[in-house]
Amino acid sequence: MAHAAVSLQPQSGQWVTFDTHPEQYRHWKLSFDGVVATLQMNVDEEGGLRPGYKLKLNSYDLGVDIELYDALQRLRFEHPEVRTVVLTSSKERIFCSGANIFMLGLSSHAWKVNFCKFTNETRNGIEDSSRHSGLKFLAACNGTTAGGGYELALACDEILLVDDRSAAVSLPEVPLLGVLPGTGGLTRLTDKRKVRRDHADIFCTVSEGVRAPRAKEWRLIDDHAKPQQFAALVQRRALELAEMSDRPHDGQGVGLTLLARTIDEHGYHYSHVDVRIDRKARTATLTVQAPKAEQPLDLAGILALGAEWWPLAMARELDDAILMLRTNDLEIGTWILKTRGELGRVLAVDATLVSHRGNWFVRETVAMLRRTLARLDVTSRSLFALIDKTSCFAGTLLELALAADRSYMLAAPESSDAPRIAVSAMNFESYESAARLSRLGSRFYGESKPIEGIRAAIGRALAAEEALTLGLVTATPDSLDWDDEVRLAIEERTSLSPDALTGLEASLRFGGPETLETRIFGRLSAWQNWIFIRPNAVGEAGALKVFGTGSKARFNWERI
Amino acid sequence: MSIDYEQKIPNNVDLAGDKTLQRALEHWQPEFLNWWGDMGPEGSGAFDVYLRTAISVDPGGWANFGHVKMPDYRWGIFLNPAIPDRKISFGAHKGEPVWQEVPGEYRSNLRRIIVTQGDTEPASVEQQRHLGLTCPSLYDLRNLFQVNVEEGRHLWAMVYLLHRYFGRDGREEAEALLERRSGDADNPRILGAFNERTPDWLSFFMFTYFTDRDGKFQLAALAESAFDPLARTTKFMHTEEAHHMFVGESGVARIIQRTCEVMAQNKVDDPARVRSLGVIDLPTMQRYVNFHSSVTLDLFGSDVSSNAATFYTTGLKGRFEEARITDDHVLLDQSYPVFEPVAGALVTREAPALNALNERLRDDFVKDSVAGIARWNRIIQKAGIDFQLAVPHKAFHRQIGPLAGLKVSPEGRVLSEAQWSGHVGQWLPTTEDRAFVGSLMGRVVEPGKFVNWIAPPAAGINKQPVNFEYVRFN
Amino acid sequence: MSVSIDPQRPRDELGTAAAPVAAASAADRGIARQHLIDPEICIRCNTCEATCPIGAVTHDDRNYVVKFDVCNACNACISPCPTGAIDNWRQVLRPKAYSLEEQLGWDQLPRQEELDIGAGTDLPTEVVAATVLAIAGQGGVAPPPWSAQKPRVNLYSLKNPVIAVVTGNYRLTADDAVTDIRHIVLDFGASAMPVLEGQTIGIVPPGVDDRGRPHYVRLYSVASPRDGERPGYNNLSLTVKRVTEDHENRPARGVCSNYLCDLKTGDEVQVVGPYGTSFLMPNHSGAALLMICTGTGSAPMRAMTERRRRRTHLKENGELMLFFGARSPSELPYFGPLTHLPKEFIDNNLAFSRVPGKSKEYVQDLIRARAADVARLLRNDESYIYICGLKGMEQGVDAAFREVCARHEMSWDSVLPRLRETGRYHVETY
Repeated sequence: MAHAAVSLQPQSGQWVTFDTHPEQYRHWKLSFDGVVATLQMNVDEEGGLRPGYKLKLNSYDLGVDIELYDALQRLRFEHPEVRTVVLTSSKERIFCSGANIFMLGLSSHAWKVNFCKFTNETRNGIEDSSRHSGLKFLAACNGTTAGGGYELALACDEILLVDDRSAAVSLPEVPLLGVLPGTGGLTRLTDKRKVRRDHADIFCTVSEGVRAPRAKEWRLIDDHAKPQQFAALVQRRALELAEMSDRPHDGQGVGLTLLARTIDEHGYHYSHVDVRIDRKARTATLTVQAPKAEQPLDLAGILALGAEWWPLAMARELDDAILMLRTNDLEIGTWILKTRGELGRVLAVDATLVSHRGNWFVRETVAMLRRTLARLDVTSRSLFALIDKTSCFAGTLLELALAADRSYMLAAPESSDAPRIAVSAMNFESYESAARLSRLGSRFYGESKPIEGIRAAIGRALAAEEALTLGLVTATPDSLDWDDEVRLAIEERTSLSPDALTGLEASLRFGGPETLETRIFGRLSAWQNWIFIRPNAVGEAGALKVFGTGSKARFNWERI
Repeated sequence: MSIDYEQKIPNNVDLAGDKTLQRALEHWQPEFLNWWGDMGPEGSGAFDVYLRTAISVDPGGWANFGHVKMPDYRWGIFLNPAIPDRKISFGAHKGEPVWQEVPGEYRSNLRRIIVTQGDTEPASVEQQRHLGLTCPSLYDLRNLFQVNVEEGRHLWAMVYLLHRYFGRDGREEAEALLERRSGDADNPRILGAFNERTPDWLSFFMFTYFTDRDGKFQLAALAESAFDPLARTTKFMHTEEAHHMFVGESGVARIIQRTCEVMAQNKVDDPARVRSLGVIDLPTMQRYVNFHSSVTLDLFGSDVSSNAATFYTTGLKGRFEEARITDDHVLLDQSYPVFEPVAGALVTREAPALNALNERLRDDFVKDSVAGIARWNRIIQKAGIDFQLAVPHKAFHRQIGPLAGLKVSPEGRVLSEAQWSGHVGQWLPTTEDRAFVGSLMGRVVEPGKFVNWIAPPAAGINKQPVNFEYVRFN
Repeated sequence: MSVSIDPQRPRDELGTAAAPVAAASAADRGIARQHLIDPEICIRCNTCEATCPIGAVTHDDRNYVVKFDVCNACNACISPCPTGAIDNWRQVLRPKAYSLEEQLGWDQLPRQEELDIGAGTDLPTEVVAATVLAIAGQGGVAPPPWSAQKPRVNLYSLKNPVIAVVTGNYRLTADDAVTDIRHIVLDFGASAMPVLEGQTIGIVPPGVDDRGRPHYVRLYSVASPRDGERPGYNNLSLTVKRVTEDHENRPARGVCSNYLCDLKTGDEVQVVGPYGTSFLMPNHSGAALLMICTGTGSAPMRAMTERRRRRTHLKENGELMLFFGARSPSELPYFGPLTHLPKEFIDNNLAFSRVPGKSKEYVQDLIRARAADVARLLRNDESYIYICGLKGMEQGVDAAFREVCARHEMSWDSVLPRLRETGRYHVETY
């Protein structure tokens, strides 16, 4: 496996990118019928992202999921009229059989985890859009719905299963592969669908899964229909779901243009975001630029700019930068977050985001920002925000500092260009993290006193001393200490065990009450990570390793 | 408060051009002076003391003599000159260039090493602050004060590193160095031996002989450090530490000499009669040797230590005379003998050499302290007295490491509890011993006069006569 | 002081002397000053080893020792040593220098051995001749003061000179002064050159004279005390006047004085000696020195004064009285330093013979003027008299002493022999 794993690692100069377009899709077909859009999965067996495996039975790899993510983005921005998305398959008797096991068997551990993280984020994004943007999802499981296939269905608002006496929903990871479902399956069974735990126990240990009537009885699906009635059921429920949506009837879609990005040996470069990688120090500096020009205040102006409107353009670039770094630069363990530009411009944009929040496009843009920032929360990299001169950590961009594990702010009381930060209304509700709290809320564990203190400072430019008093930053070295203090903090960080840091950061970032999302990611980084590297899964006779070879897995029976 | 840096703080670290350091010192220096006022030598603020002040690191510059008031002593900051292209000589980074800045990875370990070393410096000043009241001579009083101001300077040296290289944490640690107090149960100094009292001059001389020699070995090991500023700082401190050991070795030697003279003149050797003649009997000297030797051995830390291994492998702290040792300087596959108590007996076992580095440094120390004791014995021998002082066995009276609490005689025999308590009065200073030594303490400050129990030195300080007015009381 | 001998005199060794074979032979066979550490005092602090810039110090579990073949006597280790154990030196024959093994085995330092080099037995004839000439003024051979340190003489012969390195050459007289008198510092590195105040060394100028023969040796009084021009250094100083005319004031270029006055720092000089067993200072406390000199005759006086000054803290007592003559203050060597010495340390009497607007004043005039104090010293059995300078001063000084005695009920004719016989009257003039 070690040798095979190499082939799935990005080679120098061979970057995995997330750029695609419906016309280039190999695995999905997107069609529209009024308020209902249908996204049909039809995975091209030969279309694996890397050589070495066939994507049989609508199984997916990262490439398939990149297209899914793209399709969802286009539904959000380019098709505001769509209220329900029907997820289904165009293959006979198979909805989706989940992540490709051979791909998993060939992948390095890091690749597997990173892949799982992205698929999870995409599925969480489905729920986010349903919850916040009125975009409803219906899984029309027209055949076998196994593993990751069922987990995809679980992310939808409703699951309909064809009742052809053979189609079943299943989570066969434990009995077949000796691992756990990696895309939130177990959490959604309990937290979302409230499946009783003894039923869930059985369901998760029978490889063949559960067919229609019992599946509904156990709440594994919402409804089922015979093959002949299935389409009608799907259509009816899709329209009923659409009724619950507040998506506009008259919205003019905003085209998502291809991101202007250059890649070179120093990193990734966009118009508002720049990533500079120091491979020796194992750090990347992500610098986000404030709007270079005044942004429109009125809706017409905003819609005219479309994908060029700074908040959306910046969010898309930042999102791409995060994905590029996570996928291609595994050893770059510390990200240094910086901002550049005018504080006032950022605050002005925040004001438009607030005043036009009823508009679907503004709402989708905020959602895009929210999901992008949430990607930071679950990124297994150390995040240090450096609030230095000419920075503009205000409102939306302040979220970067709040998402960071630590923030260092330069105290230069003697200097007229000392950095300032500012909070805006956007910091209090719009950008909920995986904990379903604003970052300020989760920073102070919901305690009102500090949060109200910060609310009273909305709109003011805060120097380091006040920022520190308010609890908004970690430390405020002055100009004499700054270079050394920051250098030492980063060097020290980069010397620590990457595994321990991943665990530490995840533990600390998700303090407070658990949510579906925190549980999913928490379990992914704990249980799943552990099981995935145990010999019982990936040893010579491990279940994942021998899957499909006919050999039987041999376990070390010791319970841990 | 602003400081005229070059004048007030002699240095070779470009203090005048280093704003960070200036700012740190502006705050720290007044606190240091307050500490000195509170915890420095008692009642000494107005004395003019004939002190050696370092004003540069070249041979001519570091020993400038003159009468100064101790609060006006020019505590300076000195690093030995840099060796161009110096390479790391041991550990995992062997062969790489030495570090001019603290690598973040080793920041906390380095800080800990520096703080531990730094804490001993003010601690010993605190331990010794009352001794001036019972000085055996003006010459000895001056030597005490010289030791005190130089411990102060060593504190400065460590504080410099903290200020210059460790940012805010460093400044906080530098302040904490002034806040801990030797012997304070709530706020003690870091290392045990530095919370012991130094109640009398015999203890002081023993302390400077044994415990400052520990300083020599710790400094020598740190002088090998891959962190070049630490290496250069400790190298220079090492130069000054020499004086302290001189005070200890010659002080004890002069006590022995006086005792031997009195014994020979009066033809007595019974300790009680020797005591009745107002000098310290040799068996009491041996008990003090036993005590101070064993307490100091504990300072080297546990026999088998993962910290020691880490510090070595990561290049933070080398061995004594690393350059003179011919091995691979990585030590992964080597072993080193350590003692282990097994079923009531001491056995030697081979420990991984990396983990046994404390023990190795302790052995180097023992070898070195034995040499001085041989010189003391020659004084006794010349006087024709049949008595020999000896350092006790390494396992004797240990409080740290696997030998802690084990009852072992000075010769290295493992004893039962009963055997131990039957003999301990012969091996360690008793309450009566301490009371006797305490009873001899009296203040002699007339130039050239010495208290009865100590002989004058062979020569004065800086070629001054012995009867020179080394301290003026004003 | 410098003494040269008549080139017509026999020149025993001179013919073979000055060829620069000396350097190698001195290094191979000569006497060296070996740096040693006293194991009785050393506390093994390792400072010397750490300080030594060239790695000449090493140690074992017993002793710290100095590598004879490495140490260059740079003295970097001396002041850092807390005990003084480092500051020990022995004169040794190079082949017999103490080895590391010997040093490592010591419990104490060996005593200085008498070196079997035939010292003092075969002075160069020209040196003897010059000395006879120089001391003629004292009226016969005088023993050294009873307490004088035993001098070492003739360690380096003309066949076997020692090489010294010039470490300083400073003009002592003012820029506008007629005379050019210089203070020249010679360092002997690792070679021994033990000299006492009042002794002379010989300088062999390089090259040959106009008849193709090597230059003859010149003697110069040492101007620094026995522990070196700089205390603890193996160096000494000379006071040299550039000779531009002969005794009859005819233009003449002194070969050796011009050679010396033109030396640059770092230049090497061939030195022989030391010489002198009589013109020495007493070592005991309470001895008074009456010193009378002119010009470069001040060299031995400076050496003795400096010796005393460095030991003031010892409170050995014994007054110093100096009569010093020159043309003017600007031509008086060491005028500045001399006038800064405290009155209670030295009783200075400076006579100037060429100060415009003032009548000429010579040392003998001042001796008369201070008759009472001079008489007191002549009466004191602890007084030692030293006269050094131009031959011309002898008569005047003698007359002045005679007059002082007469005025104070003494007879110079009986005082002088007693002074001389007890080693308390020393003259060197040229």
